[in-house]
Amino acid sequence: MASEKQLSIYEDSTAAGFSRPLLLTPSEDLKGYIAAHVGRLLLFGITCVSVLAVLFIFIFVIRESLGFLLGHGLGGFLTSTAWHPESEPGEFGAVGMITGSVYVTVCSLLVAVPIGLLAAVFLSDIAPFKVRQYVKPIIEILAAIPSVAYGFFALLVLSPLMQNELGFTTGTNILNASVILAVMALPTIISVAEDSLSAIGREIREASYGLGATRAETIIKVVIPAAHSGIIAAVILGMMRAVGETMVVWMAAGNANQIPSPWWNLSAAVRTMTATIAGDMGETVQGSMHYRALFAIGLLLLAFTFTLNMISEHLLARARRVKGGGK
Amino acid sequence: MKRDVNRHISDKVFTGVSGGAIILLCCVLLLVLTPMFVRGASAVLFYGTVEFRKMQLELPIFDRGDAEEVDAEVAQALDARQEAFDILARFREGLDTSILRDQAREMNRAYGDYLRTLNLDRAEYRARRQAVRDIRDGFEAALASSDNAVADELLLGVAEQLAAVDLGGTPAEGFVGLVEEYQEIVARMDLSKREQYAAALDEVQEALRGLFGPLPGEAIPPLAMNQYGATRWSRVKSELDNLLWAEEWREVTPGEPLEKVRIARTEQFAGTELADMFGLIENNIEAMMLPRFTFYWQYFIDDSTPGHYFGGVGPEILGTFLLTLIAMAFSVPLGIISAAYLVECAGDNVVIRVIRTCINTLAGVPSIVFGLFGLAFFVLFLLPVFGLGSQKSILAGGMTLAILVLPVIIRASEEAIRSVPRSYKEASLALGAGNFRTFVTVTLPAALPGILTGIILSLSRAAGETAPILFTGAVALGPIAKSILQPTRALSYGSYDMAVGDRLSALVPHQQYGMVMTLILLVLCLNVIAIVIRSKVSKKLRGY
Repeated sequence: MASEKQLSIYEDSTAAGFSRPLLLTPSEDLKGYIAAHVGRLLLFGITCVSVLAVLFIFIFVIRESLGFLLGHGLGGFLTSTAWHPESEPGEFGAVGMITGSVYVTVCSLLVAVPIGLLAAVFLSDIAPFKVRQYVKPIIEILAAIPSVAYGFFALLVLSPLMQNELGFTTGTNILNASVILAVMALPTIISVAEDSLSAIGREIREASYGLGATRAETIIKVVIPAAHSGIIAAVILGMMRAVGETMVVWMAAGNANQIPSPWWNLSAAVRTMTATIAGDMGETVQGSMHYRALFAIGLLLLAFTFTLNMISEHLLARARRVKGGGK
Repeated sequence: MKRDVNRHISDKVFTGVSGGAIILLCCVLLLVLTPMFVRGASAVLFYGTVEFRKMQLELPIFDRGDAEEVDAEVAQALDARQEAFDILARFREGLDTSILRDQAREMNRAYGDYLRTLNLDRAEYRARRQAVRDIRDGFEAALASSDNAVADELLLGVAEQLAAVDLGGTPAEGFVGLVEEYQEIVARMDLSKREQYAAALDEVQEALRGLFGPLPGEAIPPLAMNQYGATRWSRVKSELDNLLWAEEWREVTPGEPLEKVRIARTEQFAGTELADMFGLIENNIEAMMLPRFTFYWQYFIDDSTPGHYFGGVGPEILGTFLLTLIAMAFSVPLGIISAAYLVECAGDNVVIRVIRTCINTLAGVPSIVFGLFGLAFFVLFLLPVFGLGSQKSILAGGMTLAILVLPVIIRASEEAIRSVPRSYKEASLALGAGNFRTFVTVTLPAALPGILTGIILSLSRAAGETAPILFTGAVALGPIAKSILQPTRALSYGSYDMAVGDRLSALVPHQQYGMVMTLILLVLCLNVIAIVIRSKVSKKLRGY
């Protein structure tokens, strides 16, 4: 009796003018269930491509550099400045390049962080909506200009200017590369810092104003401390941009494998890790020790940016939690 | 009270300084873009000379222009240049005596042959032969002398000898003419300065070649860049400057380093007839070059001669287009599907958090490491597995770029899908549509403008990246790729190559700046489109 009734339900398609039965048969139901799950699995698989890509990047960079790391070890690599990869036996000391990278990164951050922070504060707390609307695209365009175009500017416009007008011995030096890298890191710093500043709730600002603080005091003493996680993350992301940048430092930093002496001599030419990879890879034999050493430098860069990324992600997550907790 | 004033002032100062940071940013943007666009524009808009039109007509990679019209113009210009060339030829003859010397020797030899046909007796033959030999030796001594008085005297001696021997009707009768010609030259020119003139003349001829192309009577050089003179008015001016002014390093103040001194060529060649040529060229340069305002829009489609000396950036644009197209073909579907999964299906568990971390990590990998990975994975591992040969190729470069822009697309799409109002989705679900149908027919169309913005932005990112394609797909020189398994030229790598390139690219700054201008123009256009779409979307979303 019951099954007859059910059957009639399944077949009753004419009741309200529907073109097909209202209820699915068990087999249709099953099919839908399976399709939904298979589809989900498929989507999950496709989403995992990013994971695979990260995994493969690590695997292949490690695989290519393994021969070098086993053959020469990390000792000489991280303590010596002698980089003579083509001599017999080759010398692979990366300290000159690491300090080169550190120099241009630190100098560019010294320029970019104050300016970026001020600009972020201006956009989040001071500028009226209209101004923000026009400034944001400008920052975006600053971020969109290809790095090779910045490098071109550094090499063909800024470098002759420094050499001929400002009296530098060479126009391609730490200062030149740092200024350009600062310009490139600025959009990242501004947008992340501005996001974290805007995320600080209105009530915190209003409490400060209510106590009689001026806008500057509110920003410096209340908003920035409250948003410090996000701001540090912004600095770290800007730093990643500067460390990983290739074309600008290749074209504008001078490509001389040396440690500047005295250490404050910013008009010295240096060679960074990225520039070494870019410059040397074209001349190496695939599979040679030189080639593997370049991959080892790449691995070093990868490990460094990976660590920085983890830190910034942790900080941003904390910033989100703080904001969530504040409400 | 005073403290309040101070606080108020420091507040204003703070506002001013942070506003200044923004103004500084705008100035930097202007500072970077202005030289690129101003100098880059000269690749397309310039005053082209007759040499430019001739080059465009003759070189097979351009083959453009009306042959008759150009030939008429070339003839007109040659006509204007002829007088200068004549002066030069006369001067060169005086300077370079080898022509006269060779003529004298040839005449002497011919005379010897002629004597043999006459069947003279031995003594007579010897006497006549020796007389002409003496004349020749005397003439050569005069040619070799660098003292006007000595040369004059020697020539007079030769003339007397000539008068003594009757050479009429023999091959040696031309000696009279030669001697007279050289006497004229000696009268005009300070022979002691001959070597100095010779060195300076080389420079003058080099400048003339730069201005007018190969000089009359010279063989056509093998390289296209040497076959034509100055093709643009700006170059005409700089070559004219080389022609009219000599540069010399001189000790101006004793004990100080040498200083560069400019000397007018008219001064350098004072007293010789060549001095007239400079004024002639300077005054008639327009008639000689026929400059005309040219809008060379074909710059964006033309191939170029080696070193980008002539021509445009067509292959580079094509290569960049292909690379980004392949990058997008891989990354857009992957990116949108990943974003859809992350928004619609995924909760917040460990697996999802790992995926998100990986996406962020991918976004933070330095671009040069992408290049290394592309080399190790696509070029050396994956393509050989499919039997496609392990070499740089558009395919490998495109796939490397695809991984580079994947996180950008995922993030943008995720944000776009998330910003679709919940009510849309709920309405669709309430009407009985399934999850899949709701996503495809309701959520996705609503999110499409936002996704499109992300795609366009990542397109501009992919087009501008250089480091990832250094080892995987880009070359500086080479034929246009015939398949995606060959490497290609690209705008970004081309810009680098032109900037650091050899002396040759420094000669053509309009080509250097033109290339990078094209790249920036492309990227900026894409960004402006993205910004416009986004502002429309945000207006629409605010409307609801």
